[in-house]
Amino acid sequence: MFADNWKISLRQVKRLLILDIFGLSSLLLPGMLSSLTGADGVFCLLLGMAGGSLLLLGIGVNLRQMKEDYYHYMAETVGQFLADFFMVFYFLYFITLCGFVLYETATLALSWMLPDGSFWGVCVLLLLLAAYGTIRGIEGRARIYEILFWFLGVPLLVMLFLAMQKVDSDRWAPIVYSEGGGILQGGLSFGIFLLPLAGILFLKPFCKEGQKLASCARTALFSVTLLDGVIYLILLGVFGSNTMGILRRPAITLMGMINLPGGFFTRQDVVMISVWFFALFALLHTGLFQSSLIIKEVFHEERGRWSLAAAVALAFAVAVALFHNQILAEAYGIYQKWIALPGIAMISLLLLMVHWIRFGKGSVGKKGGGR
Amino acid sequence: MAVQIVQDLEQNIKNFEDLFADCADIKRRRIRVGEQRERECYIAYIEVSLSNVDWEDSAVGKFLQTLQGMPEGEMVEYVRKNIGGISDAQPFGTLEEAAQGMLCGDTLVFLEGYDKALKIPDKGYPGRGVYETESEKIIRGSNEGFSESIKLNTALIRKRLRSPHVKVKESFAGKRTNTNVDLVYMKDLIHPGVLKEAEKRLGEFEIDGALDSGIIEQLTEKRKYSPFPQFQTTQRPDRAAMAILEGRIVMLTDNSPVALIFPATYNTFIQTSDDYYSRWEIASFTRVLRYLASFLAMVFPGLYLAMTNFHTQILPTDLLLSLAAARQGVPFPALVEVLIMEMAFELLREAGVRLPGANGNTIGIVGGLIIGQAAVDANIVSPIVVIVVALTALCSFAVPNEELGTAFRILKFAFIFLCGWMGFFGFLAGLLGVLIHLSHLESFGIPYLAPFVGADLSGYQDERDTFLRLPLEFLKKRPVYTREGARTRLRINKDKK
Repeated sequence: MFADNWKISLRQVKRLLILDIFGLSSLLLPGMLSSLTGADGVFCLLLGMAGGSLLLLGIGVNLRQMKEDYYHYMAETVGQFLADFFMVFYFLYFITLCGFVLYETATLALSWMLPDGSFWGVCVLLLLLAAYGTIRGIEGRARIYEILFWFLGVPLLVMLFLAMQKVDSDRWAPIVYSEGGGILQGGLSFGIFLLPLAGILFLKPFCKEGQKLASCARTALFSVTLLDGVIYLILLGVFGSNTMGILRRPAITLMGMINLPGGFFTRQDVVMISVWFFALFALLHTGLFQSSLIIKEVFHEERGRWSLAAAVALAFAVAVALFHNQILAEAYGIYQKWIALPGIAMISLLLLMVHWIRFGKGSVGKKGGGR
Repeated sequence: MAVQIVQDLEQNIKNFEDLFADCADIKRRRIRVGEQRERECYIAYIEVSLSNVDWEDSAVGKFLQTLQGMPEGEMVEYVRKNIGGISDAQPFGTLEEAAQGMLCGDTLVFLEGYDKALKIPDKGYPGRGVYETESEKIIRGSNEGFSESIKLNTALIRKRLRSPHVKVKESFAGKRTNTNVDLVYMKDLIHPGVLKEAEKRLGEFEIDGALDSGIIEQLTEKRKYSPFPQFQTTQRPDRAAMAILEGRIVMLTDNSPVALIFPATYNTFIQTSDDYYSRWEIASFTRVLRYLASFLAMVFPGLYLAMTNFHTQILPTDLLLSLAAARQGVPFPALVEVLIMEMAFELLREAGVRLPGANGNTIGIVGGLIIGQAAVDANIVSPIVVIVVALTALCSFAVPNEELGTAFRILKFAFIFLCGWMGFFGFLAGLLGVLIHLSHLESFGIPYLAPFVGADLSGYQDERDTFLRLPLEFLKKRPVYTREGARTRLRINKDKK
């Protein structure tokens, strides 16, 4: 009746995107930026945000030109063969993302919550939950993160506020000290964490106001950059750039150091992990949803059960491979930086140009407007 | 093939006798009426449904008295045109319809020369009348409760909502019980789709007997494997009336004092009638308590296990030491200890419910005090586990809706196993599972977690009545169940202030 329309609102999209890109970036990025640039990580964030904005500009125009879904738009613009090729590219990106996030979430759980647990067991449980969340469609998925948004956001903001007491502003210096190459690399790293925003290209058929998806993604981008910036500065002020550079997940280490007023709970790291656990799960869920959606569209599967099963199996295989082979984890970083990031940007640009050449610039907006 | 009622009384009597052969509880009587007792009529009724003490004062008695003093020629015409002068009387053309009317507890009259059977209402089946509700106790407000009679229940709602817009749509469920099922709603407030869907679902099954609203509920809910109820239940007419004013539909079932309200959301299950009768501060405070209680009823024992078995670093050292000291000498692992106590508590609860009133209370006290104390003295469980289980029980009692409380009670065991096995990770996984399930759950198209989700719909202020119940002046709009254009429920006349 009211709710059962398989469409989600812009607010839901916004919250989903914020959680998608916040989890992994706030967890891994501060340590990476610190080791690359010392105290200049904020400039990397700004650079990444600028790059992300440019990418979203292209995505936004593509969204406006899109009549139906992304797959049909690609086929209409560059032909069926290239459309299929691009779908495979996107599938590879989302399925490896899903596997990587599964690996990260499982290792996070094993390191902080379940030291004697089984990696396989944790992965299977997480994948089953993600599959259960995916099987009933996008509406239920959007509702999960709509409700989690404040339940995670409020405690996080309180903890960050409390953490500010431990900040030593001297550690923010020296500023503008690192080389340009480091800042560029840091910006690229942030750009990698922003890539899930490209998933909005597939969301148009599921969104009530599909033409505004890019603006939602921009809001998510600015919000997460701000939040990551605050977290980075707090972590820098507490740990200093040298210590932060060697910590893999400094944000969680920080949570273990904050004392709550009243002193009943002596350590909050285990409790606060839930913020990142849920945020990472959101991204894992997104990866699974997008990859199963791509298989479903390419193979014209009606119900999507087989596509989901295939995506679950592949994501599991990726996570296990990453867990057992550290070289693969490094290779995944290289894939993200040199294949996924430029690839997604190039596809967007190519579609834009071909569409302009074939249908003219004036077609922008006229063909848009959602269904 | 329906048997038509004809003018020949003997034929009608024969058909009726055939239909109700070997039914000793159905009384039949031939009576002669008219000035000269020249015309015969035949009355039939279920033994207890007709007043036999004041026969003359009953509607049937008065009807027959009227016929006694009437010339034979006018009798049929009088009955045909005035339906015997009885407001509730109803003529039936077929024997099946007439029989059904009698089985509803009314009296049937066949008159020589009249080709219809007249159903005349009287005392009807024995019932309890209006009593105080056993559940859903409130501090302020009416204490009237629904009874087993659907007519009485409908009247109790109508008494509160004196508007012609209140509609009662009647249908029947149960091939052999022919149970009345009424949908009560405010015509200008409901979303028509919800009514259509309810009628569709009621027509989707055929069952031999619908003896309680619980059977209708189970057959009409969509997600049958969910532990969470998709209909709100109430035994309070004021709660039902309030729901109708919110644009929801109340389903009443004959012989059941429990009304079903739909659409229902998590938020509506947590609300009580006196939330709106009391001041907003008190209502909000108790509302927050209930939300917290519903969460803790599900996770508290699990969290205890996670914190004491896996993540002791969370707790202050003093507390940890006292917990360890309390467990000294207990031979079981904490998981088994908690399970023993929880099972003991569930047994006490079940025994308390089945035993008659006073004995039930005694079982509670005996169980709680004596068995709990004895178990601690015998070192079977630690005192802290008794406290945890008791607090969890208190939390489950604080959930105003029994069905929702039961869902949490069942899920509590899942959390005990998950947390006992995987600590806080198990807790998070369980929580995620419940959240995913609730996010997918809908009641007649309304998300179960509304208004926490989907709150960006236009003209919508449901968030003002969730964790906090804002002052009534702020609750100007009806909830989202109401059809668009009819959402305003309160207008403040500033010029008259």
